[in-house]
Amino acid sequence: MNRDLRDDGRILPFAALLVVAFGILARGDANLMQAGTFAAIDAVAAIGLGVLLGNVAQISLGQAGFFGVGAYALAYLTTAVTWPASVPLWLQFVAGTAAGTLLAALFGLVLGLIALRFKGHYLAMATLAFGLIAAGVFRATAALGGASGIANIPYAQFGALSISGVPAFWYAWGMAAVVASLTFNLLRGRTGRAFEAIRNDELAAETIGVPTRRFKIVAFTYAGALAGFAGSFYGSYLGLIEPGGVSVNFSIDLLLMVVLGGAGRISGAILGATIVGLTNIYGHNLENWRPVVYGILVIAIVIAFPRGLIGIVPRRRDAKAAPAPDSPGPAAASPALARLRVDLPADAEWLVVEHAVKRFGGLVAVNDVGFALERGKLTSLIGPNGAGKTTLFNAICGIGRVTSGRVLVAGRDVTAWQPHRIAALGVGRSFQNARLFGEMTVLENVVAGAFRAESASFASDLLALPASRRSGALAGDLARDALARLGLEALSGARARDLAFGDRRRVELARAIAARPGLLLVDEPAAGLNASERARLRDDLLRLRDDGITLLLIEHDMRLVMDVSDRVMVLKLGSLIADGAPARVRDDPQVIAAYLGTGV
Amino acid sequence: MLQLVVAGLTVGSGYALVALGIHIILRATRTINFAQGEFVILGGLLAYGAVTWLHANVWTGLALATLLGFGIGLAYERFVLRPAARAGELAVTIASVGTVYVLLYGHALIWGSLPQPLPYFSGGAQDVKWRAFGAEIAAQQAWVLGLLLLALAVLYLFFERTTYGKAVRAASNNPLGARLIGIDVDRARAVSVGIAIALAAFGGTLIGPITLVGGAAGIGISIKGFVGAILGGLDSPVGCTLGGLVVGVVEKLLEGQAGYGISDPVVYSLLLVMLIVRPQGLFGSRRAVRD
Repeated sequence: MNRDLRDDGRILPFAALLVVAFGILARGDANLMQAGTFAAIDAVAAIGLGVLLGNVAQISLGQAGFFGVGAYALAYLTTAVTWPASVPLWLQFVAGTAAGTLLAALFGLVLGLIALRFKGHYLAMATLAFGLIAAGVFRATAALGGASGIANIPYAQFGALSISGVPAFWYAWGMAAVVASLTFNLLRGRTGRAFEAIRNDELAAETIGVPTRRFKIVAFTYAGALAGFAGSFYGSYLGLIEPGGVSVNFSIDLLLMVVLGGAGRISGAILGATIVGLTNIYGHNLENWRPVVYGILVIAIVIAFPRGLIGIVPRRRDAKAAPAPDSPGPAAASPALARLRVDLPADAEWLVVEHAVKRFGGLVAVNDVGFALERGKLTSLIGPNGAGKTTLFNAICGIGRVTSGRVLVAGRDVTAWQPHRIAALGVGRSFQNARLFGEMTVLENVVAGAFRAESASFASDLLALPASRRSGALAGDLARDALARLGLEALSGARARDLAFGDRRRVELARAIAARPGLLLVDEPAAGLNASERARLRDDLLRLRDDGITLLLIEHDMRLVMDVSDRVMVLKLGSLIADGAPARVRDDPQVIAAYLGTGV
Repeated sequence: MLQLVVAGLTVGSGYALVALGIHIILRATRTINFAQGEFVILGGLLAYGAVTWLHANVWTGLALATLLGFGIGLAYERFVLRPAARAGELAVTIASVGTVYVLLYGHALIWGSLPQPLPYFSGGAQDVKWRAFGAEIAAQQAWVLGLLLLALAVLYLFFERTTYGKAVRAASNNPLGARLIGIDVDRARAVSVGIAIALAAFGGTLIGPITLVGGAAGIGISIKGFVGAILGGLDSPVGCTLGGLVVGVVEKLLEGQAGYGISDPVVYSLLLVMLIVRPQGLFGSRRAVRD
């Protein structure tokens, strides 16, 4: 659980108390009650957008569209549809709410599928277009009342209790409380860890096995569902839904609320919605000033205060030591670990590369390279700069596909696979420049590295089922084990981006081995290390090999290579020019020529 | 039909200028300026202000709006885009969305929320009309197209023929390299944004007599400009111009054939369709789409 979430866990109960106090004190004032109800409705939608924007770093300018889908679905079902007399009013309302939420979720899913083919500004534009199209369709559809919308939507009715006025306030904040709790659960679980990894570094997230695209779509769907949920109650509360109410301006309002309050914080979304909702009471006098001030505030906040207004609440100082493991002892015997092992077929090797060619335009970076790694051995790949070593690594991991040829991992042709699927076969890697998740602690980084071992589903995260906790506990155990194996326990609580370079390297290695890979690709681990760090690296590599991991190492430090390798391959200008035992390769005249040049 | 095409080319000229502005700002700062359409409205209103407050004629208004647009663009880059860029790409997008609100409701504070009429460039309150090829062509429409071509020519000469224009392009293409050869990249960026906003203000004044200026039209103008840019290719200035014109024609044809309610959703859907089918646009390169 990261710091923001811990802070939210502290703030949210307090916020709930404030809401209850407000509800009791202001119960006599119809205006305040109404403003408070709208604030809660907006908060529900804003929490969803907050997850998308703050936790996954994806923008949406079309949330009003989902909100409208929810509102219109409920309005249509409760006004245009003739229900049998046996269906009570409350059931109609519940059915309308469920339909609105699910339909909005579905639209979120579809938009996510389309929009996530693109990055950044294309995504923003696509979502904006969705919002505009939705509003246009509502306006143009006669069955939805056209420009005047659907009126006379009945209040939700539970027995004698009509959900309007004061009861609506409590109902709306009840919704907000449920949504806040569910979102809290979600972010605390496997899904939240995947989000956090994506936000910090998408590529690194892929290489530890996070299907980044799928999780971004999950976030889109979730944000859509919450907007639809909020919208369906909005329709019933107001008794009216018209296209103007779900225009682009409302999408922008939601975005402003999230940024104002603090993106990535549940409490921030609620605070933003509350501020906007309560200042709404004076809306008529300040019609145009209010949005101008919001606009200026938002610009100021993204520039100077990215944590939003909720960031003003002081953080509790981080607990000194990492929290004690919540499960007893090492997880070595855990049955869940058995799933982690990829059983190699007897005739397969961890890695086989066949006739790999990689072209960048006219440049041939890798030229017909083929080899097979023997299991349990440490093989080094050496060669002058520009020989194509990292390109080959990327091709193996699925980051940059080969132009022709095949890559087989554990006997399966992974040539066209995405990185996270290859990682899921039990392939770990480190990067030349140590791509840690900068904002996360060392322990959180390594826990993320154990993602492959996690099994909690979205639903079990959302509902905080035991499976979610077990999954997290297993990842925690694996992470602590990996840290212990490399002697890094003392760094657990440090933030990754504050680490010294040598430590970053080692933490990245710990992250790569947390999920117990069968094949580990290590890219220039010794670069930039001092002598004692190198000695330790040597021991680490040998220990990992003795643990049964098959290693492929890119390295320039010849002493290290000759010392630890069982086999050395030499790449020059994209072609393998030597392959064999270290001593033989060292004396190969071609290799000497490649490194030192030939005499004239 | 031809009548509709002419009308389409006229509003399309506005979209073309917006698309070009979006293109220039994207090249210089790697962000989409969501407020581009609001700057169009602002430009038109500045010209309107010159006409009503200073009793200037509309040509002076045009010059003034364009110049002020350039200055506002410099300020926008310096005080909004540049500082936000330090907080990341997402922050710039959000800041430009915040700017939409500042401008949209800000100009309503000054000029009210109803659109205002700008005088025609020739003929004052009544526009001169000609007949040609069975269609009626208003003088304003001719002015719009003519001045669009003039603006394009000036842009071309600046970016292709002047040393400073080349420096600005260099700063957009390769900031590090440009910095190494002594180009002030920050200033070049500011100039790019200034030019883009000047174009927006210029376009707002041109179209103003036909569409009226003000109100909440800015967001629609932004996104239609973007549709044009996507259609032609975000990384191609020629594509952006043609794309903007095409959007205008499609919009007017749809309005003429199917009515007002249909045209906007269809044009916006065009954006999603293009993103799915050919995100690099008709003239753009594939490389521009991902990363």
